[in-house]
Amino acid sequence: MKTELIKVIDLSRCTACRGCQVACKQWNELPASKTKNWGSYQNPEGLEWNTWTLIRFQEYVDQKGTLKWLFRKDGCMHCTDAACMKVCPSGALYRTDFGTVGVNSALCIGCKECISACPFDIPRYNSKTDKITKCDLCESRLAAGTPPACVLSCPTGALQIGPKDAMIKKAYKRAKELGGDASVYGDKFVDGTHVIYVLPEKVDVYEKLPESPSVPLSIIVWKDLLKPLSLLAAGGVLAGSFLHYIIHGPKTPDEDNQ
Amino acid sequence: MKKGLIQATDAFERVVHWSLALSCLLLCITGLGMMFHSFNFIGDMMGGLRSLKYVHNFGGLFFGVALYFTIRMWWKEAGVFSFPEDIEWIKAAGGYLWHVDKVPEVGKYNPGQKAFFLVVAGFGAVMVLTGLIMWFPLSFPAGLVRWMFVLHALGFVTIFAFFFIHLYLGTIGSPGSAPAMFSGWVTRAWVKKQHPKWLHEMEEHGTLIVSGEEKKSHGHG
Repeated sequence: MKTELIKVIDLSRCTACRGCQVACKQWNELPASKTKNWGSYQNPEGLEWNTWTLIRFQEYVDQKGTLKWLFRKDGCMHCTDAACMKVCPSGALYRTDFGTVGVNSALCIGCKECISACPFDIPRYNSKTDKITKCDLCESRLAAGTPPACVLSCPTGALQIGPKDAMIKKAYKRAKELGGDASVYGDKFVDGTHVIYVLPEKVDVYEKLPESPSVPLSIIVWKDLLKPLSLLAAGGVLAGSFLHYIIHGPKTPDEDNQ
Repeated sequence: MKKGLIQATDAFERVVHWSLALSCLLLCITGLGMMFHSFNFIGDMMGGLRSLKYVHNFGGLFFGVALYFTIRMWWKEAGVFSFPEDIEWIKAAGGYLWHVDKVPEVGKYNPGQKAFFLVVAGFGAVMVLTGLIMWFPLSFPAGLVRWMFVLHALGFVTIFAFFFIHLYLGTIGSPGSAPAMFSGWVTRAWVKKQHPKWLHEMEEHGTLIVSGEEKKSHGHG
């Protein structure tokens, strides 16, 4: 593995200019969707097959009665213990050299298992191509030694990318600077995500952001228990049958019973 | 045909059995192709893993239809345990595992076969149901779909293991059994050994069909 990278999203610096949203579409050649006004600047309403990152707009009244406008850049968190990779039958979702989760679209068979498995509700399905899509943290750009399109576009420094340890340190330093309810989100679960937030407010304030995400228990039972058990059980039965045959012997009709 | 053979199954039973068995086998193989990366190559034989997915999904529909006929056809004979004779047989493990002087006589299906039938019927239905939900996962809550994967895998663990028991006991583990599902004709000695009570029943009810003997045919309900 090359240097493990982490992208820090410092929400205290985000002005919701949505430059990242546009830059993502541009680099990844994603067409625009026809959207409608649904009463929010958040546009489109959620992630789509052609919208891999999105600024969420949220109106929040804190305990003192102060109205706050919260912005959160949503997108793939690039888990280390990635549920999507665990369930992907074809290897279309894979670990990149940077520790992130890449997408090999050619291998995707459109089974949508990753969509059900993801604790962050990230992958989206394109019915036209029968494939899933999600942010790959601009793997092609990383491979060329350049930052992801979203990071490059960010005018305030809310998005930064760098080596894992340095970025985690930076995030904690920033959270400390902010003080109050500020915290770092991402390094403590699913063995650490490769996208981490500096959250100015408490975690549970943010919409659609799970407080303590994990690989779902069902996925663990399925992939870590039942999957190996299927071959073990069949192997055990085969071995048992063989032993039965050579020890007890088959049940043969009595010869002189005609 | 050799004279004196006894008809154990009719053509309809055999067609339904093999429709279920072959589709089940196809589903196991294609399922393995998706479950293990090391078995992805199975997809190559079908023009890629995406085609394999379609073979699996539509094969599942065929399996569902075959399962319906299987359950309808065998439920009365193999789906219900009869007491107390089945208990006696289970206590002796049918004479399969240790020496038993006199194995309790069983009818057309012994409790082991009944258990196998019930597992296939029950988990088969689970496989069809969970499979359909997994086919259209976006129409259901993710929390539900995730557990469908678990049930589907559990069904596979069970059916796949039972499949090998069935294979063994239908062939070398019980010589003379296999013809029941190929030609449908078995030897009298085999019936006497495996299903003596059934033989008596057929003789009593006059439903016994012996090759080379004049006999009224018995249709299938």
